[in-house]
Amino acid sequence: MEPESPALPVPKIEVKNFSAFYGKTQALHNVDFTIYERKITAMIGPSGCGKSTFLRSLNRMNDFFLDFRVEGSATLDGEEIYGPAVNPVLIRQRVGMVFQKPNPFQKSIFENVAYGLRIQGVKSRSVLSDIVEKSLKAAALWDEVKDRLNGSAFSLSGGQQQRLCIARALAVEPEVILLDEPASALDPISTARIEELMQDLKDRYTIAIVTHNMQQAARVSDRTAFFLDGTLVEVNDTTKIFTNPEDPRTEDYITGRFG
Amino acid sequence: MAENVLPEKGLSLYRKVRNALLGGLTAVAFVLAVTPLLAIIYVAYDRGKAALSLSFLTTLPGGFPVGIEGGIANGIVGSLILILIASLLSVPVGVWAGLYLWDQSHTPLAKATRLLSDLLLGVPSVIWGVVGFYVFSTNTGYGFHWGFSGLAAGLTLGFIMIPIVTRVTEQALRDVPRSYIEGALALGASRFQVVRGLAIPAAITGIGTGILLGVLNVLGQTAPLIFTNYYNTGIPKNLVGSNGSVGDLAMQIFIYIHEPSKGLHVKAMAAALVLTMIVLLLDMGIRLLAWGSRKYAQRMG
Ligand SMILES: Nc1ncnc2c1ncn2[C@@H]1O[C@H](COP(=O)(O)OP(=O)(O)OP(=O)(O)O)[C@@H](O)[C@H]1O
Ligand SMILES: [Mg+2]
Repeated sequence: MEPESPALPVPKIEVKNFSAFYGKTQALHNVDFTIYERKITAMIGPSGCGKSTFLRSLNRMNDFFLDFRVEGSATLDGEEIYGPAVNPVLIRQRVGMVFQKPNPFQKSIFENVAYGLRIQGVKSRSVLSDIVEKSLKAAALWDEVKDRLNGSAFSLSGGQQQRLCIARALAVEPEVILLDEPASALDPISTARIEELMQDLKDRYTIAIVTHNMQQAARVSDRTAFFLDGTLVEVNDTTKIFTNPEDPRTEDYITGRFG
Repeated sequence: MAENVLPEKGLSLYRKVRNALLGGLTAVAFVLAVTPLLAIIYVAYDRGKAALSLSFLTTLPGGFPVGIEGGIANGIVGSLILILIASLLSVPVGVWAGLYLWDQSHTPLAKATRLLSDLLLGVPSVIWGVVGFYVFSTNTGYGFHWGFSGLAAGLTLGFIMIPIVTRVTEQALRDVPRSYIEGALALGASRFQVVRGLAIPAAITGIGTGILLGVLNVLGQTAPLIFTNYYNTGIPKNLVGSNGSVGDLAMQIFIYIHEPSKGLHVKAMAAALVLTMIVLLLDMGIRLLAWGSRKYAQRMG
């Protein structure tokens, strides 16, 4: 672990008394939680405990489920994410997301990364080229694809596709990146590359990652949150969570006693 | 080529018998599936070859009984006009309805639309024809008094096509993986941008197939034409009114075969071959278009 910076961490996303429902089922119960700027926050917990629901609530990806609704407060830089005047499209531009299964578009590698800019109306080829290159470099994929930018994204390996999806998310210059089990479909080497990449990105982005892999949470994150049955049991510095958790349920989970 | 790694003699008798049986069944199924197409082409060619020539495609029927001389230009032109009118109505309406059903799939209005659309799929074409007659053609009907005409028939056929296009468009969009759509939404794409830039290109082959199915259905219809258009041995100047009927290949075949004239039977089978070829060409054309637009969508935003 690198030494903590002495300056106080700045809250980026603050969630207070936050509940989420799919119709009558309540998936999150009164969660209080802060995600700090330029830190990696990991979310762990058994399957179905609400990690994805929580993550997807932060960029309003759950709006597409018709009967989904939330209660309580979630703010991005102090602004309500679910405020009545908020345009969810703008939230999603500021809070990017990478999914469990790599989901590149049926387009060229170049166009995959350029997509987010094109939909914002960027047409200039040179601007696009610059940003595509920058994003692919930031996602540690440039060297592998620079000679075949016009090739299909589907010709890449799974790990490369996932880095392409990260590059695609970076291209629209989000402030926060949400990753929902980004490495669970990848082999160990590709996983290691994604983890390295997260360390590189941390200087510039706020990162929240859901993972089933406790070692991964311990390796990559600064803070870790443990969810159980839709409640946030405990959130703390990662070292503290893994060495000296406050809640016995956290200890049970990380020592593999359930889940 | 991959070597057959399992030596045949290493297989148990049971597996040998099973492999042979399954292989045989597959071969039979294949033959059964292709035979009809080959049979159609062979019979139509064999019976109609005497009438086939380039001028058969480009001249109007003449002589007595009408059609014993000349060709089927009236039918080719008429069929194309009917396809065009039917498509102009049904493609925009059907694709839009399919998009709507996909996008709003769970709303009560969408459920009702889907149910009605599926019911329409089952309405026999003769009923479409009679209703088309009352609505579009006859003077004593409901509103439009277009007579037996290309417009009346084209619109009737268009209404037959709408539920086909709707159903297939919705299904094609449903086959686009949700994760794919979510990837774009997470980048800040609007619903419209997702639909236009990703969902439709990903579904375009399916949508094209739907349009093709509709067109082929229209090409083969005779019952609706009997009531709304009948037939024309020439090429009309108008598409409405007393001289507004168009020729039509299916009707032409139907009428020629009913005449007690060997010569017309030959012409009918030659026309059948032409119709089959048009169908195959349209099929290939649509596939090419779908392929091309997918390539285009891959490059563009
Ligand atoms: N679209 C949905 N409609 C209804 N219920 C849902 C929906 N998505 C999730 N749920 C329910 O919400 C609860 C939390 O699900 P969620 O996907 O957030 O869990 P998770 O912690 O991400 O699980 P996993 O580790 O398996 O991904 C579960 O009980 C789940 O069944
Ligand atoms: Mg999940």
